[in-house]
Amino acid sequence: MSRLSSLWRNLVHRDRVERDLDDEVRSAFELLVAEHVRAGLSLEDARLRAMLEIGGVEAVKEQVRDAKAGALVETILQDVRYAARLLRRNPLFTLTAALSLAIGIGANTTVFTVANALLFRAPAGVAEPDRLVDIGRSQDGVGFDNNSYPNYLDVRQRVTMLDGVYAYRLGAEAMSLGNADGAERIFGNVVSTNYFTVLGARPAAGRLFGPGDTDEPGASPLVVLSHSFWTRRFNQDSSIVGRTLLINGQSFAVVGVASEGFHGTGILSWDVWVPMGMVSAVMPRRSEGILTNRASVWLVMGARLKPGVSVRQAAAELDVIGRALEREYPDVNRGRGLRLLASSPIPGNSGPVAGFLALLMGIVSLVLVIACANVAGVLLARAAARRREIAVRLAVGAGRGRLVRQLLTETMMLFLLGGAGGLLLARELTSLILSQLPALPAPVDVSLALDGRVIAFTIGLSLVAALLSGLVPALQASKADVVSALKVDAQSPHARVRLRHAFVVGQVALSMVLVIAAGLFVRALGRASSIDPGFDPRGVETASLDLSLAGYTDTTGPPFARDLIERVRALPGVTAASLARILPLAGGGMGLGPLTASGGASPPNGRPFFDADWNIVEPGYFETMRIRLLAGRDFGAGDRDGTQAVAIIGELAAQRFWPGQDAVGKYLQQPPGPPGTSAPARTLLVIGVARDLKYRSLGDIPRLFVYVPLQQQFNPAITIVARTTNGQRLAGEIRALVASMNPNLPIVGAQTLEEAGALGLIPQQIAVSVTGSLGIVALLLAAIGIYGVTAYAVTRRTREIGVRIALGAARGDIVRMVLRQGMSLAGIGAVIGLALAAAASRVLTSLLFGVPPLDPVTFAGTAVLFAVVGLAACYVPARRATRINAIEALRYE
Amino acid sequence: MPMPRNRESLLQGTLDLLILKALVSGELHGLGVSRRIDRMTGGTFVVQPGSLFPALHRLEEAGWLASSWGPSENNRRAKYYRLTKAGTRQLGEEVALWNRITVAMARALEA
Repeated sequence: MSRLSSLWRNLVHRDRVERDLDDEVRSAFELLVAEHVRAGLSLEDARLRAMLEIGGVEAVKEQVRDAKAGALVETILQDVRYAARLLRRNPLFTLTAALSLAIGIGANTTVFTVANALLFRAPAGVAEPDRLVDIGRSQDGVGFDNNSYPNYLDVRQRVTMLDGVYAYRLGAEAMSLGNADGAERIFGNVVSTNYFTVLGARPAAGRLFGPGDTDEPGASPLVVLSHSFWTRRFNQDSSIVGRTLLINGQSFAVVGVASEGFHGTGILSWDVWVPMGMVSAVMPRRSEGILTNRASVWLVMGARLKPGVSVRQAAAELDVIGRALEREYPDVNRGRGLRLLASSPIPGNSGPVAGFLALLMGIVSLVLVIACANVAGVLLARAAARRREIAVRLAVGAGRGRLVRQLLTETMMLFLLGGAGGLLLARELTSLILSQLPALPAPVDVSLALDGRVIAFTIGLSLVAALLSGLVPALQASKADVVSALKVDAQSPHARVRLRHAFVVGQVALSMVLVIAAGLFVRALGRASSIDPGFDPRGVETASLDLSLAGYTDTTGPPFARDLIERVRALPGVTAASLARILPLAGGGMGLGPLTASGGASPPNGRPFFDADWNIVEPGYFETMRIRLLAGRDFGAGDRDGTQAVAIIGELAAQRFWPGQDAVGKYLQQPPGPPGTSAPARTLLVIGVARDLKYRSLGDIPRLFVYVPLQQQFNPAITIVARTTNGQRLAGEIRALVASMNPNLPIVGAQTLEEAGALGLIPQQIAVSVTGSLGIVALLLAAIGIYGVTAYAVTRRTREIGVRIALGAARGDIVRMVLRQGMSLAGIGAVIGLALAAAASRVLTSLLFGVPPLDPVTFAGTAVLFAVVGLAACYVPARRATRINAIEALRYE
Repeated sequence: MPMPRNRESLLQGTLDLLILKALVSGELHGLGVSRRIDRMTGGTFVVQPGSLFPALHRLEEAGWLASSWGPSENNRRAKYYRLTKAGTRQLGEEVALWNRITVAMARALEA
């Protein structure tokens, strides 16, 4: 009989094989007995003698099974069946354990899914993505910034270790797509024509840009559509290839469609790609010298490593080229180098993002550890309860290794159950995350799908966690001392109880850390809402426009803007309206060059100029935003092109520029712009002083601030701000108004000022929801842990308590005794937790808006919360202890 | 009663050889194999059931033994083992190997 057919027989006809084995060993046993009887022994003695000689029928059978083909598969199957039976028999235990594990594993899987999408996922439709690199500009050796087109051309020409270097924009450009019924906003990217070739992309229709297309300025008015845009806008109509689209008022011929899902190596998903040579049509705001000025930085590069070249070698070569460019063009490239990194969906940012995700991973790992400790604790208790069963099995000849394997199988199944639940939970959580994402200014394609890697991670995590939390209880259980365990009145060994107590202490400590972190973030958000930002964000509608997309220039833009804002003011329900380049707290800032104060203070640290934050506004901005003017006047109709250039400065700027003097009526001087730009030297008359605001974030310290009027300092990227009565929404009216004034002008973004400002609180909000929800889960798990330990102790001490009651102990004494045990564990855990939290909370200082990291309210509140939860968890077993009937307890055993 | 400490490694080769040899003269059930070995070795080797039965099943799965069911001396259902052709061949090889080993060992000990 071949080995294979034995395996088949052993596994498939298991019952018959088992029966045969039993018959065989049993008949041998009977024969032995018969022999001994013939030799003159009594039947009793003969049986005993035979038993001793054979060493136990079951033990022999077990040894035969181990020797047979497929023994491992067989025992595993048997273990699984046995474990499933046990788990089914204890549905409450199975359910709570699997649920707490599902939460722990689900939280980990969710964070891993995000990390997978942002850090590891291979980009769609790109050939050999691991051979791709990102190249950015470093400043004094650090950072990853945009570069200029002339620098790109030099890199492309000089580099020897890279197979094709392409350039593209890291962001998404809002563009206007003209059609019969007005303009539509789309997002596009500007790429060098070798972009698709280097990435190895394939077209879904038509062709992509290729060697036949040129990057010469204005020479190739061509466009490639993304597959999703092609589907959404043109219903996958292949006849679109060869037709023309009107983009920002200029005709572009559609050459083809990229393959499905392709969006380069990043996370942004563009609608169209346009050759680099057409950049001035696509980014009209920045067109001046954009392809010729080495100081104009606006693109990043990507490249493919030549075969056999490592990232390190290529980075070294790029470093050398960067140094050469710095030497050759010192005026613009001083301190600037080239940085080459392995390609990432978030070029140059994978470090910080990985750090943040690692922090999140750390937090969710805590939850998993707590859940594991809980399950391990329960397993220990069950092992104690099953000591007799285990001792019996050891006595009839089960091997210790076999027992450990069996107990581990049970744990593994529990954890796989938890893992499956975790996957389901992660799927819900990731779709929740996607739905909760704030409206981002550009379309992002982050696929949070649970792919093979995520599933492998979850299964691996479940098994490792099972091994870690199941091994100790299993080893402990299998160590059962047969003799003492079979005695009826056995106390469980001390070590096991101590271990379980350690688990509970650890749970309490870790969940305390999470709850304190959540408490601190809640306090920080509370503090944030009480911070006066210096303006009133309620009831203000905003709508962003880019006038350059519809072809407005420095000459035609200002009158259009003035006309627009006057019409907005005339809309019903609008009490005040204005235009601004930058909205406070919306996550942006701008500069218009350095400053000196005529007749005022010198800039600090011996520097020649002051640096300030700027904004460009229309008259009425301060009234609309309810920013108090402390001195002077608002901009007016008279402040226009051709009249004295004026400015309104912030409170801090007034104090710094002219300490102790009235700033109104003084002059600010601006030197001419750097070479290659056209900004002339300017003199600005200060006409007013405004209160300082929180501009960049609520945690902002006041900055030097300068406002200038749009009519004197035109910028096409503007946002309408309109204060309405009773917070009425006006998005639709504003959209209709803009479309009626110019059908080619798309609204780039519309939201309320509060929504725009909410972006600044996102880190805190994420932190609150993560630590808060996980903290509550951890707290519940810790409570279950305390309850389990206390209840177990009461069961174990039933007789002792019975004796005490019989001897006249008062109920209060019994309750105190039980509480003392549970609460001392909670107390030790809480002290450790407070110490850990005190150490950990320092890390969070920057996110807390001035709430001290050792905030007494949070720490004391958490301590009280844990005391209450601990008492509640001990209360049920304590009450049960007082109800112990002395007579029954003494009879119990 | 000499009882090697590590049955698995020390006795395995010897045990297989003894079992095959014990079956040369005809089919036997498990306990019969044990008794035959006991007699053949003059009581030097007492094979414990815990080693014997796994070995029988292993040899059967290797194709050296075949088995059939028949009544035992006291009329229970017993499993009888016999040598297959492959088993006889294997016995020849094992005997040859064993002879080489004993000759080599004897020479080594005499030297």
